[in-house]
Amino acid sequence: MNRTVIVGARGFVGGAIAARLAGDHAPLLALGRNDLDLLQPAAGERLAALLRPDDSVVLVSAEAPCRDAAGMVRNMTMVAAMCRALAERAVAHVVNISSDAVYPDEPALVSEETPAAPSSPHGAMHRAREVLLSAAVKAPLAHLRPSIVYGAADPHNGYGPNRFRRTAAKDGKIALFGEGEEKRDHVFIGDVAELARLVLASRYQGILNLVSGHSASFREVAERIAARSGRPVAIEGSPRRNPITHRHFDVRARLKAFPEFRPTALERGLALADAQSEPAR
Amino acid sequence: MTVAFCGMTHLGLVSAAAAAELGVDTLAFDSDAGLIARIDSGHLPVHEPGLSVAKLRLSTLPRDLAACELIYVAPDVPTTNDGQSDLGPLNALIGLVAPHAHPHATIVILSQVPPGFTRQLWQHDRRFLYQVETLAFGQAVARAKQPERIIVGCAEPARPLPAPYAAFLAKFDCPILPMRFESAELAKISINLCLAAALSVTNTLAELCEAVGADWAEIEPALRLDKRIGPHAYLKAGLGIGGGNIGRDIATVLRLGAEHGVDTSVPHAWLGHSQRRRDWPLTVMAEQSAKQVGILGLAYKEDTASMKNSPALALIDGLSGVRIAAYDPAVNWQDAELAYVKHAHAPLEACADADAVAIMTPWREFRDLAPSDIAAAMRGKLVVDPYRMLDDGACAAAGLDHRVLGRA
Repeated sequence: MNRTVIVGARGFVGGAIAARLAGDHAPLLALGRNDLDLLQPAAGERLAALLRPDDSVVLVSAEAPCRDAAGMVRNMTMVAAMCRALAERAVAHVVNISSDAVYPDEPALVSEETPAAPSSPHGAMHRAREVLLSAAVKAPLAHLRPSIVYGAADPHNGYGPNRFRRTAAKDGKIALFGEGEEKRDHVFIGDVAELARLVLASRYQGILNLVSGHSASFREVAERIAARSGRPVAIEGSPRRNPITHRHFDVRARLKAFPEFRPTALERGLALADAQSEPAR
Repeated sequence: MTVAFCGMTHLGLVSAAAAAELGVDTLAFDSDAGLIARIDSGHLPVHEPGLSVAKLRLSTLPRDLAACELIYVAPDVPTTNDGQSDLGPLNALIGLVAPHAHPHATIVILSQVPPGFTRQLWQHDRRFLYQVETLAFGQAVARAKQPERIIVGCAEPARPLPAPYAAFLAKFDCPILPMRFESAELAKISINLCLAAALSVTNTLAELCEAVGADWAEIEPALRLDKRIGPHAYLKAGLGIGGGNIGRDIATVLRLGAEHGVDTSVPHAWLGHSQRRRDWPLTVMAEQSAKQVGILGLAYKEDTASMKNSPALALIDGLSGVRIAAYDPAVNWQDAELAYVKHAHAPLEACADADAVAIMTPWREFRDLAPSDIAAAMRGKLVVDPYRMLDDGACAAAGLDHRVLGRA
């Protein structure tokens, strides 16, 4: 079994992938920022020195969410280091963790063939990263685009299941934008890690959306979390400031590539997130 | 009068047979001696209800064409899976036929060609005309004998058609519509794009029915009674746009649109939606971990042996790691190139021990299958029946999980 090098292995997604591979006792080099700071001048050369020809490399490191030009510059500095390393040292397979933020807001149904047209700095950062890596990497390359990832260990407090779980537990309250009508695909962190494992095992090339295939409204997510909390939770709407948009995913590419994969249903995923949070409570 | 049809594949053979059935002395020409021999021995290269070649005079000799007043050049034009036409064989046949045709003969191109094709021929040889074919697989003989209208492409539509040609067309007792070459060539494409539009609307709304609790089977008859839509409109929910002909015409429009700066984003979207609906059985089956799947029907639609862009083949392609048994009453198994699929010789043989069964072609004989027999043969319960061949109540009584298009 060849080694997997994870660049950004201490984060929410990178950590989950590392844990999934470690569970299979797969050879692993898990690099966090303390091991390799991609913002440092010689980071590319340092990473190159760590790589072997038969390595699979998972690139997760990013400063996310990217909100502005300064954030973009720092992220591009990190990508430049990745590109330098992978241009200097040939490897067997490269997997870039991107984001569904690269897709435009308009289409209700998104597939891997939907043209990327990001409207946010975060989406633009991920798209630029994809383009730059595609230009620099000679090994088989996969760009994985997760949707809204939820799970116990998420350090971000973005609008969605993770924030809802925290505020429900802490304040007995979940605040929605508008009435939470927007439907989104919420993917469980365990599914992201499992799909990454399958991608690595098959040396998948090209784009793959890491999604559940089932979209739920933010209100439905909030109601499920409230029902699970075991205590009264107020779900509070707010005056709507933006038009309602929905996003659904066409998962045929995943079905064809990984027919054995079964996504975790939202209720089950929330239960798993609760169970994984228990020790911290 | 003798009429010759050249190129004895689907279009030429059916058209020649229809002419002969009208009492016209009909010469069926193809330079492929093996093909002519097979037709002569009754082994027809296509499956079409009502197709009889008994009244045809068969020939492999180009010199036999010299005695014909009217010559149709009618080979099928091969297309790739993405709809690109290969006009090479048609051009080769024209090059073979024209030198042997009488100087005063009329030579009609019946094959599907892009706008501008026939005028180029005519500029060098004034014997050429174009006629639109409206071959519909499975209904080809009936449509060839009783066309709704005949569309003729010519250089000067206001002038009378050559007498032998006009006399032959008069036998069909339908409106004759002469028009300039390019209009006629584009009329053929326009017909197929109208059909594609109806199919795309139908399949979009059928999917919406599945989501909102409506039933497309209830909506469909209401639309057929609308005079602006019509009783024969393409309103049957299906697995995208099957076959090769409509896809070829969409590809032609996309190419011409790109070349001339015309917005073709709408037909472009039809292709994407078609592929998505084609994969509907795969998405249904993905909900279950089927290890053995039975497939009933491989042809892209009933009453044909053609598997061009068949949803069944797409399903088989998507079911990696699954054991598959398949049955089809018409397709030539040797042509199917399905080495890893078990060839079942009866529908229930394909269903045997299956975790899931998919009825991928609406062959009439599948309507006669008893859901209880299917349930008894299967190991699992899932029956994917996009065309609603089985009775829903009988499926429920047999304990089957019956999934159809256009209804949740």
